[in-house]
Amino acid sequence: MSSTADKLVEDYLKRLNAELRGLPRARRRELVEEISAHIAEARVDLEIEDEPNIRTLLDRLGEPVEIAAEATERFGPRPSTAGWKEVGALVLLPIGGVILPVLGWFIGIVLLWISDAWSTRDKLVGTLLFPGGLLLPVALGVLASESSGCGTVVTPQLSPQPNGFTDCPPPDGTGAWEVALVVMLVLIPLVTTVYLARRMRRMSAATA
Amino acid sequence: MVAQQDALLAQMRRGTLQYCVLSLLADEERYGFDLVRGLAETDGMVTSEGTIYPLLSRLRRDGLVESTWQESPAGPPRRYYRLTDSGRAALEGFRLEWRRFRDAVDHFVERTET
Repeated sequence: MSSTADKLVEDYLKRLNAELRGLPRARRRELVEEISAHIAEARVDLEIEDEPNIRTLLDRLGEPVEIAAEATERFGPRPSTAGWKEVGALVLLPIGGVILPVLGWFIGIVLLWISDAWSTRDKLVGTLLFPGGLLLPVALGVLASESSGCGTVVTPQLSPQPNGFTDCPPPDGTGAWEVALVVMLVLIPLVTTVYLARRMRRMSAATA
Repeated sequence: MVAQQDALLAQMRRGTLQYCVLSLLADEERYGFDLVRGLAETDGMVTSEGTIYPLLSRLRRDGLVESTWQESPAGPPRRYYRLTDSGRAALEGFRLEWRRFRDAVDHFVERTET
């Protein structure tokens, strides 16, 4: 009979875990841990571990969907929708490396990981697809030094007149792929930023 | 009207539940199961035991309670909850307000009944 009991409990916890998927991972794990500890304690108190007793025990706990609704309401609407961490990450990841070479991008990564607004998968996407945010200033630096005589602009985005490229004819031959490279380096971070922004909204909608 | 009343009572129960949890922790620390059964013993306070855990988690994150892991006589370690200073202050504040509110409502409700 004990295996039936285990099966019932296992199913219950699986359903609970699924219902809580909208929550940040740490909270979800804490709730599942606490509730499975509760079940274990309650089972010790049972005289007979038969199916009716286990079902009664789980009924007293309540439906997973009910617990999830309570969790969503108790934790309130996610403050991160427009929180400083999320805005900071979304700004610094694509252009942080330009504002403050290397360090700016790194701060963006830290903000991305300490924020609750994204799942671990999204954070990985943001981190791995974002070397662009780091490479961009490097590439620009290389380009600027190559096309010497076109001004000393290392970070054209910040200069008052963005003439880093337009005023200088690209060097013969290499120009085309260099421009393509820069376009890629600008586009990939932008696409990833849009992706993260959308994922963030979806997660907050799921918990709201 | 009845449905409205039910909703109101549910809201009142929900809003006051956290202070009942804080009260249970006022004198001693307790682990989750113990705390939940303590609440469920009083009729009408909790309908689904599992819904206490999100509340506990929030109280912990708000800094009103803190938790420590302690060995249990049998089985795995338990997470014990206890009041923090700000939890105690919140409970005291609520007690004063609650008494005043309860007396005020009693003043009208109890009089019209008799």
